[in-house]
Amino acid sequence: MSEKGNRIGYLFVLPAILYMLALIGYPLIYNIILSFKDVNLMNMATNDSHFIGWKNYSDLFKNHVFWISLKNTFIYTIGSVFFQFLIGFLLALFFNLKFRFAPVLRGILMVSWLIPLTITALLFKFMMGDESGIINQILEALGIVHHPIEWLTNPHVALWAVIIANIWVGIPFNMILLSTGLSSLPDEVYESASLDGANAFQKFFYITVPLLRPVIMVVMILGFIYTFKVFDLVYVMTGGGPINATEVLSTYSYTLSFTQFHFSLGAAVANILFVILFIISLIYLRMIQKDEVM
Amino acid sequence: MTRSKQWILSIIGILIVLVFLFPVYWMFITSIKTQGEIFQTPPTFWPHHLYGKSYTDILSSGVTRNVINSFLISLVSTAIVVVLAVPSAYGLARFRISGMKFFILFFLVTQMLPPTVILTPLFIVFSKLGILNTYIGPILASATLGIPFSVLVLRTYFLGIPKELEDAAQIDGCNRFTAFVRIMLPIAFPGIIVSAAISFLFSWGDLIYSLTFNRNQELWPLTASIYNAIGRYGIQWNSLMAFASITVLPVFILFILLQKHLVKGLTAGAIK
Repeated sequence: MSEKGNRIGYLFVLPAILYMLALIGYPLIYNIILSFKDVNLMNMATNDSHFIGWKNYSDLFKNHVFWISLKNTFIYTIGSVFFQFLIGFLLALFFNLKFRFAPVLRGILMVSWLIPLTITALLFKFMMGDESGIINQILEALGIVHHPIEWLTNPHVALWAVIIANIWVGIPFNMILLSTGLSSLPDEVYESASLDGANAFQKFFYITVPLLRPVIMVVMILGFIYTFKVFDLVYVMTGGGPINATEVLSTYSYTLSFTQFHFSLGAAVANILFVILFIISLIYLRMIQKDEVM
Repeated sequence: MTRSKQWILSIIGILIVLVFLFPVYWMFITSIKTQGEIFQTPPTFWPHHLYGKSYTDILSSGVTRNVINSFLISLVSTAIVVVLAVPSAYGLARFRISGMKFFILFFLVTQMLPPTVILTPLFIVFSKLGILNTYIGPILASATLGIPFSVLVLRTYFLGIPKELEDAAQIDGCNRFTAFVRIMLPIAFPGIIVSAAISFLFSWGDLIYSLTFNRNQELWPLTASIYNAIGRYGIQWNSLMAFASITVLPVFILFILLQKHLVKGLTAGAIK
């Protein structure tokens, strides 16, 4: 391509890049600088903040709420990803049976993924009410539990309550990606396996799973990335409570920055969140680069 | 597949959908129940008394204002996304520019970034620029959700359009820009609509940016206002669910209008 073509190409590409650099790239670097300073509501306006080195980070490492939120973030993410993958996979297999309404029904399930997370959170908060919540009512009517579960008020249960809501959001995403993968598998392999006398289970574990491995990895890692950074769902459902039981890195960072106005501490938590995600993203990028020409 | 097996599978499929989407049904049904019926045991699975007062209540409490704000923020940010992402996607699909691989990577990474990371810096920057408590902050910030997604989806879309079409246009006297505007944009229009719709939904669902950059409740979109209402309405779930129903209505309308394309677009954007 000529020099001129190159230049015209930049004219098309650059405006979006510059916009993203201004609103994402610059804040990202600013956030790193911020985490090494002592900016709070008082000195933000007057500009007399100072560099304090790694103090924010060492303060965090001494703070048990930070460790709780780190642990919660991992439990939340792994719990969500595991179950939404499992259920999503089962649904993908089911809707892959070629019956007439399968594509339409599968499409309708996507609704749960499109609803604003604030609304989903509110909905589950309502359904998970102690006495009158519909989930407890149904569980009691079916005889599964005898006392209402304190979904959002019991510190031992609350994290799982939020995970359940997140699973509901994530199932269609897993299902659709796995469906796309399933429909791309060659029929011939299954036919010859049938001729060799393989049953459905053998076909699933010896053909489907190995052939689908790249898709499975991508779905899981993407699920991890999108769940790890979740804010709205937790913030609206529990606000991190009761007693930090559902505090995750994103809500903890938000509370530090915008409730306590320790901007630098909040920035440091956000950076830790970012570093973990960045490492996962790199693994993901390596994986998809092997699959397709970028 | 036999006919009866077809039927059995269809019925199971419908049951799965009904169970899975029960929360959405429950939201709407609660919004037209009386407060007494909501707390009745055993619960009623359809309202015995139709009750529309929750809707008139929240309408008179100024929800129209929030609807307008939501549309304003989402539409303007979608416009920014389209204006920036469409040419960028085209450029990345058609020109062999140096650094292209890096640019694509850049969009991929920004798409995965947690909003929390840019929240505090943007708050400080916006406050220094004096644009806190205006529409500008949420609009600018929520456009960053749609841009990388749209660039990546539309680049694939442009790659699928035969290059000969443009070459023909250039022979007929178009330059690269007029060929882009007159030939490529109309062909890519369906793809642009879908990515615009998805960007709209991203902005429509945003809570964190409006909550952080706007302390002025007059300027809040539905999401921020409903978050605030949780405390105000307490256990008046019919009002809250009416609020929620109004918020998801545009989402459902977009979904019904664009169903198949929306699903395809979302999956394309998620992988690429």
